[in-house]
Amino acid sequence: MRTPPRGEPLSSPKVTILHIHAIMKFAEFARICEEIEGISGRLEMTDAISRVISGLDEIDLPIFVQFVTGKIFPDWSPLKIGIGPNLLYDAITLIVDGTRSDVIGEINRRGDAGLAVQAILEQKKMSRRSSRGATIQTPLFSQELDLAGVYRNLEKIARQGGRASQQEKLSLIQSLFQNASPLEGRYLARLLMEDLRIGVGEGIIRDAIARAFSVDPRDVEHAYQARNDLGEVAMLARAGEKALREVRIMPFHPVKMMLAQQGTIPGAIEENGTVAAEYKYDGSRFQFHKAGEERRIYSRKLEDVTDALPDVLRVLGGATTHDVILDGEVIAVRDGKPLPFQTVLRRFRRKHGIEEMQKEVKVQPFVFDILYLDGETLIDLPLIERRARLLSVLSDHVAPQVVSGDPGEIERVYQESLAAGHEGLMVKVLSSPYTPGIRGKNWLKIKPSVDTLDLAVVGAEWGEGKRAHVFGSFLLACQDQGELTAVSKVATGFSDEQLAELHELLSDHVISESGKEIQLEPFLVFEVGYSEIQESPNYECGYALRFPRFIRARDDKGIADIETLDGIRERYLRQKK
Amino acid sequence: MLKATIDADILKESIDAISALVTECRLHTDENGLSTRAVDTANVAMVSLTLKKEAFSAFESTKGEIGLDIAKLKNIFGMMGKNDLISLELPEDGHKLKVSFEGYRYSITLLDPNTIRKDPNPPNIDLPGKVVLSGNDLYNSIKAAAVVSDKIALGIDAAQQLFFMAAEGDTDHIRREFGKSEVNFLNGIEARSLFSLDYLKDMGRVMGRADEVEVSLGIDHPAKFAFYIAGGQGYVEYLLAPRIEAD
Repeated sequence: MRTPPRGEPLSSPKVTILHIHAIMKFAEFARICEEIEGISGRLEMTDAISRVISGLDEIDLPIFVQFVTGKIFPDWSPLKIGIGPNLLYDAITLIVDGTRSDVIGEINRRGDAGLAVQAILEQKKMSRRSSRGATIQTPLFSQELDLAGVYRNLEKIARQGGRASQQEKLSLIQSLFQNASPLEGRYLARLLMEDLRIGVGEGIIRDAIARAFSVDPRDVEHAYQARNDLGEVAMLARAGEKALREVRIMPFHPVKMMLAQQGTIPGAIEENGTVAAEYKYDGSRFQFHKAGEERRIYSRKLEDVTDALPDVLRVLGGATTHDVILDGEVIAVRDGKPLPFQTVLRRFRRKHGIEEMQKEVKVQPFVFDILYLDGETLIDLPLIERRARLLSVLSDHVAPQVVSGDPGEIERVYQESLAAGHEGLMVKVLSSPYTPGIRGKNWLKIKPSVDTLDLAVVGAEWGEGKRAHVFGSFLLACQDQGELTAVSKVATGFSDEQLAELHELLSDHVISESGKEIQLEPFLVFEVGYSEIQESPNYECGYALRFPRFIRARDDKGIADIETLDGIRERYLRQKK
Repeated sequence: MLKATIDADILKESIDAISALVTECRLHTDENGLSTRAVDTANVAMVSLTLKKEAFSAFESTKGEIGLDIAKLKNIFGMMGKNDLISLELPEDGHKLKVSFEGYRYSITLLDPNTIRKDPNPPNIDLPGKVVLSGNDLYNSIKAAAVVSDKIALGIDAAQQLFFMAAEGDTDHIRREFGKSEVNFLNGIEARSLFSLDYLKDMGRVMGRADEVEVSLGIDHPAKFAFYIAGGQGYVEYLLAPRIEAD
């Protein structure tokens, strides 16, 4: 197959062929990804994608816009692909033999599973192979992969449950790679790892959708906030501005949670005058959905955690007769006192023994927002009106709120919150809409200054002495323009139990191992404390943490939520003042 | 509609032949018997099976298609005695297959055939080398090869008129040759292909029960294994894609 030079415009004749035949081949998708990967400018990238999607039919359009962001399923969907790097290695090893460690070696050399798979499929043999040639499993039928076929296959993989399904998953992955060209293999591997590495984020794809169908980007963004599904939004945009504007929130289709920025009480009042203040609870965020008798609870990462929280389900279900979507925080309590955040997570994570756990850890929900009421979407109403609706339909468990323009009064609520064992204060702008997934100035969090960072765990090292059988230290990374870059190691602050738990949790996510060093698939987030940020040549990002110590694992946060390099730079500059 | 009575051993043998490769299949029924054709998930091997109405002690059916969860059936039939008689019954447009034996009555929910991959067309390939040997000899060769390697070569040496299997491990290798006294050469022309033992081990267990298996081979081509079951009233064909040497 001819590979086009990087940066070749997408309007070249072979790509405009898309407009003629309806089915997008996976080879075309891979070629488009490769071209986008070669584009550095955001505008040029948006333009290129918009030209492709304007020609797609109703089957390929939703799949393409979803895939090109490197995610297989929309965030709200209960379907998760659940493939670790190990399963990918196994599948590749089945197709091109050579020992498993050769495949891993190739991946280590290239630093990217996509490029490694491409190279393996290109050479059709491993570079460290002895004189005896490697063999390749041929398929019984060779068939060209198309985009929709790949999607169906991935959906099948996601629907496989339980341990016995590993073999079936492996065979499904094998069948995909067996029919893939080297370039297809590169993007297939990255897609399976849900990291396409072509730099297309949600913002770019939203702008590209708006441009492709000549609709207002703000309408696209709004519809995306409500539906949380790029494919669906693309289809609405294709149907026209009217369809896009009529978008509704639906029960059991969770929306992203609105997020808060750091702020101060005087600053908030200076800018907004009268504000609403609520306790900042040190618990776990949840979204409660109810329609008729059906009720479900979703976590901050929009995972269905209904089964782990039967008590919350019961009390909230009993507090309203309406169909609602509520936003709140659930905290653990003992004798009326809040327990540390970690305790709540033990409940969220629970899959077995929920009944005993219910007795051990009592949880209490506090609801502070309402997004949907009896068929009506409320996110565009100002906070003050949403609050009124919330109070009128929920008889209990509404988080107390104080509305005031007096800094002294707000400060008093803040101190009261801390005295009661909560984390701090949330200050909200009364006229603000609910903006799902957006961290803006309409919600401000105020906490005593503790210097902690949320960072991704990307590596580990085996411990020593009595810790020799577990990981003893961890390599942590922040994010910079979608890439992870290492910033610190952390080896203190762990109990032996925590290290054992972390080892068990992480051992399925080992990408490679050389000597004592382990490279890990990034998925786990640590909150770490530190005394100071220093400039350092030891890490690629140019900074390092002084006295890093482990505070807790943030199971409620994903890689997208970790600290940015810009944020670290800002903290560094601030501490110099 | 399907109403049939069959010997437990024959039914088990048929289910085993299919379950060696797939966990579900589309089963076609008509007045002459049953048939299915299915490809494994990884697209490497195919099974075709026909069971004539003569294989049953009683058989009555209209033309139809049903979706079978083979893995589930295998579990259920695992507990049957060898010489039981089993009766199968599916009403017209029914979604549950009634199976009874030894006083047990099962009602087995069928799969929607549309959710199962369509019957593949057999690939159009010419496999000129043909030999017939005992299923037992074939299975023993496969087992022997599996001890040293995860791949096996099957071939015909035309000059010597030998059918051979060979397996090469990292340190050990094994070779077994069959001459005219053990193998019937239907067409003894030169052939050699390499196959994954992952597949052959499961297929071999089924083939080991056949008196004779007809093996068709080419050079770096799939292999076809054909044999009778159910005392000649059933017929199974396996097709397996080769591994080829990379260069």
